[in-house]
Amino acid sequence: MADPQHGSRSRSSHRRPALPVAALAALALVAACAGPPKSGDTGGGSSYQLSQDTPAAKGDVDSFTWALYAEPPTLDYIAAFDYPQNTILSNVCESLMRWTPQLTLAPGLAEKASNPDPTTWVYDLRPGVHFHDGSVLTADDVVYSLGRQLNPDNAAAWAQQFQNVSTVTRTGPLQVTVKLVQPDSQFNQYMATAAGVVAAKAGIEAAGKDYGTTGSLDCTGPFELGAWNKGQSLELRRFDSYWGTKAKAAKAEFRFLTDPSARVNAMITGEADGGYLIPTESYERLRSSGAGTLWFGEGLSTVNVNVTNMSGVLGDVRVRQALSLALDRSGFVKAGLGGAGTVTGSLTTRAAWAAAPAESRKEAFEGLTPTTPDLARAKALIKEAGAAGKTVTVATSPIGQDVSLLATAVQAAGTGIGLDVRLKTIAPNAFTSLFTSAEAREGIDMFPETYYDSITDPLDLLANFKTGAFQNYAGFSDPAYDDLVKKATTTADPAQRFAIEAQLQKIASDQLLWIPVAEWPTAVFLNKRITGAPTTISYMYYPWAADVGAAR
Amino acid sequence: MSFLRFAARRLAEMAATLFGASFVIFGAMYLAPGNPASFLLSGRSASPEALKAINAQYHLDDPFVLQYLRWTGQILHGDFGRSITYRTDVSRLLADRLPSTLLLVGMALVLVVALGLLLGWIGAVRGGAADSTILVSTTFALGTPSFVAAVLLQGLFAVKLGWFPTGGTGDGLGQMIWHLTLPAVALALYLIGMLARVTRAAMLEVLGQEHVTVARSRGVSDHKVIRRHVFRNALGTVLTTGGLIVSTLLVCTVLVESAFSVGGIGQLLELSTTTKDFPTVQAISLIMVGLFMTVNLVVDLLHPLVDPRVTLGPRRSAA
Repeated sequence: MADPQHGSRSRSSHRRPALPVAALAALALVAACAGPPKSGDTGGGSSYQLSQDTPAAKGDVDSFTWALYAEPPTLDYIAAFDYPQNTILSNVCESLMRWTPQLTLAPGLAEKASNPDPTTWVYDLRPGVHFHDGSVLTADDVVYSLGRQLNPDNAAAWAQQFQNVSTVTRTGPLQVTVKLVQPDSQFNQYMATAAGVVAAKAGIEAAGKDYGTTGSLDCTGPFELGAWNKGQSLELRRFDSYWGTKAKAAKAEFRFLTDPSARVNAMITGEADGGYLIPTESYERLRSSGAGTLWFGEGLSTVNVNVTNMSGVLGDVRVRQALSLALDRSGFVKAGLGGAGTVTGSLTTRAAWAAAPAESRKEAFEGLTPTTPDLARAKALIKEAGAAGKTVTVATSPIGQDVSLLATAVQAAGTGIGLDVRLKTIAPNAFTSLFTSAEAREGIDMFPETYYDSITDPLDLLANFKTGAFQNYAGFSDPAYDDLVKKATTTADPAQRFAIEAQLQKIASDQLLWIPVAEWPTAVFLNKRITGAPTTISYMYYPWAADVGAAR
Repeated sequence: MSFLRFAARRLAEMAATLFGASFVIFGAMYLAPGNPASFLLSGRSASPEALKAINAQYHLDDPFVLQYLRWTGQILHGDFGRSITYRTDVSRLLADRLPSTLLLVGMALVLVVALGLLLGWIGAVRGGAADSTILVSTTFALGTPSFVAAVLLQGLFAVKLGWFPTGGTGDGLGQMIWHLTLPAVALALYLIGMLARVTRAAMLEVLGQEHVTVARSRGVSDHKVIRRHVFRNALGTVLTTGGLIVSTLLVCTVLVESAFSVGGIGQLLELSTTTKDFPTVQAISLIMVGLFMTVNLVVDLLHPLVDPRVTLGPRRSAA
């Protein structure tokens, strides 16, 4: 989703050939392709409603076409850690557990998961499950598949989720036992993500280093991989020996449409029947096109402004509080999220606490950062901290409307309370490296980031403030916080765990290492031909395409 | 200077430049912030072991010079290495995507040369209303960057009228040409305007020269004069711009491919740069530079054939 910046255009007159030719041609290189435009209209604050599902399909369809914003580099499950690959893979490869459209945990390839003692997980596999090549799922395939995640040479994206695993062994033809070095309340939940995918050992071994990029994925899902036209499209075919409810579409074609306006145009003209991750600036256009319906669902995503430098003026918590108090969150939601979103003072979404007892939920959400601007209080805090006139640098990028508008909102907030907020515009590729490289973050005090949970547990986000955690950009370190993270990880009982997580949420919120701004729902567009896709972020790990069928 | 000696010298120069370019290309990626390994791990789960494993697999911890030497050594053996993000051989990535880009650039080139020359010729020879119309429309073309043209064409011919697809490439040559028509027009528009202007100016200049007046006064037919003297002269100018036209097409294809979701080399370059996929970016950059140089070489070698006044050797400055 990278949008290079606009270049400047200039003109020159050219009467005579020789010298002007060269000048013109040089200009041509610059001017002829300065950069793509940002689609303009900002919709405004039209209301939206969250749902879990779209109406159930009325029947089968031969095929449907789905718009994706990028091509997956590989579909190897150990590397599946981003929207494009997971949106496809969730339909082809299944995990031990399953994340439902309601974002709850259910049995998957394991019909039963038990936890006889805090450091043991036993998975009893579903009998008679066929891989796409026809062979039958056994415990050996599970041991092999999880083993690939554990092998450091594979550099699996999910390695962190296996950090507490000591062994994965076959304890029966259809039984696998996972031993942990310490209790891990998150492990079994992650078994519903790509971390818990099971593929056929024989297939992976036969494909060798090309596994995931060519040929079959040798999994068990309702669809199998069809033709993959690199750079263009990828086809899934219904798997007829599927153990569960068969897919309603015989074929699902994914088209890689990298340009946001090209993607929306394809949905309006019917070249694509639908898609997830709709550009916020296109909500109104899709709604008014009459081509179909735009649905919203729980995204487990929050938009935040992350602090990356504590040695500057932001090192004083009062300055962070003041910025938060001065921020026009509802203005941002209206302009930056196309009106579809809710302002929040919480780092975690409400839905992440869905399974929590009312008491913990109340505690977690009580007394959080106020979301209504209070400029007087903010100014007073700045004065108290002696920060008036001090400089704060916020990174921004033409990577998307949410980023650039949020950076501008922070600037407006800071300027309003006497800080000297500077925007540093960064090319999209350099902006993405802010997430991963400390060097790239040098000279930057904060930047906007949208974070989504991979499981329905607030700890997925809250663990980021543990000492040394990868996304702990501010270098926050509090032994008490670390202890609580450890306690939450080792506490199996959900009620007790949520109580601890509520404490974590309190500390993280008081610290404001990330300033929470808004909850961002997922959006899905379906044209009049099809229906049935879930609206929640479950599509990352749930075989959603199997539910898509005829609308009439 | 003999033709062969000239060609050999230019080839040697080209090899040296390519070598220099390879060093710049290789170094440039390392100067930019970010590390491909941390991109691969998507920021969330970078265990030290995983980072170490990737760095080892792709030799990212080796000294810069060693990495550079290993890379050039591989390329001399026709091996562009393995893509970090795509986890596949770069040569295969390129083979999958090169056809779309070559077809797109080829279609645009045909449009540029055919329409640019035709419009320039008509403007210079006809004059009057035809010339004014061409001047106005080429001004419009020159003021429209390819990304704007892409949006306009897509909005009108794909979304409103539905004559062409909004993007993608399609299967089979016929489908591909249909899919690539709008992108090719978007890519060509600016250069058509430029070439028409250049051709027109070059022809007008020659038209005013003495030898044309003399030829005409001798009773040589107008048509013959224009073809033999005027257009041929203009063709030399066109050829001079030829290298630059192709370069522009190759550079701009990055944006047009993105706008129309054509999965070609340009789009791959953009995506690989974003994820710091060193081997892929380096291979594409090097290939692009190689293509520039090849086109310039061909232009230099053809020039004397088209324009007999041009001698081999250091290019004289035309004025």
